[in-house]
Amino acid sequence: MTGTSIIAIAAAIAAFTGIGAGVGISLATGKAVEAIARQPEAAGSIRTSLLLGAALAEATAIYGLVVALVLVFLKMG
Amino acid sequence: MGEKLTHAMESHTAFEIKLFGFTIPVSDLVVTMWIIMAVMIILAIFLTRNLSLVPNKKQNIAEIIVEFINNLVKDAIGPHHWKAFAPYIGTVLLFLVLANTVSIFNIIPGGEEGFKLRPPARNINVAICLAIMSICVVIYAGIRYKGPGGWLKSFVKPTPVMLPFNILDYVIKPTSLALRLFGNILGAFIVMELIYMALPIFAPAVISLYFDLFDGILQAYVFSFLTSIYISEALE
Repeated sequence: MTGTSIIAIAAAIAAFTGIGAGVGISLATGKAVEAIARQPEAAGSIRTSLLLGAALAEATAIYGLVVALVLVFLKMG
Repeated sequence: MGEKLTHAMESHTAFEIKLFGFTIPVSDLVVTMWIIMAVMIILAIFLTRNLSLVPNKKQNIAEIIVEFINNLVKDAIGPHHWKAFAPYIGTVLLFLVLANTVSIFNIIPGGEEGFKLRPPARNINVAICLAIMSICVVIYAGIRYKGPGGWLKSFVKPTPVMLPFNILDYVIKPTSLALRLFGNILGAFIVMELIYMALPIFAPAVISLYFDLFDGILQAYVFSFLTSIYISEALE
């Protein structure tokens, strides 16, 4: 295998972090929907903590994206 | 295609300032940020001129913006100290909203190689600068409202074992803030550039609604929201 294809595979593996972030955000959103359904008057504070949790969970996916981009653009170019 | 994409991602020297024999290159990121700052200053002066007790049309717009920022900061920081931090967080929020959505204002026909308005946060240095500013405000908040002694004591709370983790906190927080902003903006920017290349007719207009407008404004909101959360943690 050439170096370029190994880098491409490595970048693809780095992008797999998206799975974890997707599961995390969907769990958080599901719980938030449940909480709002039970207590609609607390929707405001639930929304802020949901945003915070989603932002933190999403950060892991972003790290994977950054690693993949660095691999592709710094090594191939 | 890869070359075009790399060319769009990199920052270029827009012009050079010659000063006392030194040559200072000014990149297009800086020019874009100057344009955003000019727009913000002009809008601020225009919207707050001739303020009156009974608001007219443009004063209503200004009041909605200020009210929104005040509520955001008040919710996150609490009712006591929010007033000191609302101006900073509001400025960062408005700047990031404009900076992240700036590519939809790209109406100047500049050609492929010329100067184009592109989101400045696609360069990691811009994102790191903003994150360092935020962590400086967090440290200032801790020292200002706890006193230097109380701030130093907060490093060994709840137990002295936590000291290294508390110090690491001041490194991890700006890193994650910067990487989140940079990664999101760069990712959306690359997707949009690919769509401009592959489907230049009609599709970019619809898809940029999500990637430029929604994602840009959401990331600006998340950045300022997390900053205010960190400030409220420092005040506790």
